[in-house]
Amino acid sequence: MTTRPVPVLIVDDQAFFRSAARAVLTVMPGFTTVGEAYSGEEAVTRAAELAPELVLMDIHLPGISGIEATRRIRAAHPGTAVLLLSTYRVEDLPAEAYDCGAIGYLHKEDFEPEVLERLWADHEPVS
Amino acid sequence: MVPIRVVLAEDSYLVREGVRRLLETEPEIDLVCVCEDYDSLLEAISSADPDVVLTDIRMPPTGTDEGIRAAEWLRQAHPAAGVVLLSQYADPGYALAFLEHGTKGRAYLLKERVSDLDQLLAAIREVAQGGAVIDPKIVEVLVAAGSRTAQSPLSRLTPREHEVLALLAEGRSNAAVAEALVLSERAVEKHINSIFAKLGLPEAREAHRRVKAVLLFLAQQS
Repeated sequence: MTTRPVPVLIVDDQAFFRSAARAVLTVMPGFTTVGEAYSGEEAVTRAAELAPELVLMDIHLPGISGIEATRRIRAAHPGTAVLLLSTYRVEDLPAEAYDCGAIGYLHKEDFEPEVLERLWADHEPVS
Repeated sequence: MVPIRVVLAEDSYLVREGVRRLLETEPEIDLVCVCEDYDSLLEAISSADPDVVLTDIRMPPTGTDEGIRAAEWLRQAHPAAGVVLLSQYADPGYALAFLEHGTKGRAYLLKERVSDLDQLLAAIREVAQGGAVIDPKIVEVLVAAGSRTAQSPLSRLTPREHEVLALLAEGRSNAAVAEALVLSERAVEKHINSIFAKLGLPEAREAHRRVKAVLLFLAQQS
């Protein structure tokens, strides 16, 4: 049985990181990029339009934060998992990051195919 | 047009792939090698003889100051090569260590800056020609670190002179400083003379010699 690739929405205000995240997903047959967003509000809109299974969400976004966008997406789409990304060290993460419904947090320096594979394989199914 | 030959050293997958994608589409850049650790970087430099090395500060094996050590080695082994150092943080200690043997052909950029292709290309071109670039945030941090010393002559500068000094340390010409601060070039020259007099530094005409003068002074203060 072949499973279709996990549809992913990439959210980051820097085009450079969106492009780099796409590059990571391109080499992963189990995942496919279905869209991008550059703000929290756009993320919420695109999540509704595209129904991704996974959202890669930068914490630092203009407008509503990545954490707030995560809350709204999780409330509206319980079947959509959100992974938070940033350049914070784990101990410096804001408290809200822990209870916004994200499946986890990944430092951008650690973001690579193997790590995402493992994280996805190990995560508790959402909804 | 002969492309600028660049070796990239970066252990973060995301940044490496992002920069690779940015540079691969640029006709004036020839990305000859991409590496992820110190030993491969030294090997790549020896075999590829690049014009510019674009490198992170931290990478395996120790994840501390590999990029800075590579730059020091390059000064002796490949003096014509330029180095663009990338860092996540504006660290005055790293900046001073990186630049203590001179600013010629040296740039220090913050990683958040690499997303701006024009800025990255400008830094690569500048160091390829022997010039220097220091990220404005790093200049801010250096100037702040320097003026924290109680007896620092930097504390004798007027706010306007501080502004001029920060722009000088970025390697800007008098004309560029005048434009940035909406002053005449004559007024900028007077400020510069006053700054160097207060800091006890000899007058310098070339931009990167002025940066060097500012940084050597700050190094004495820290």
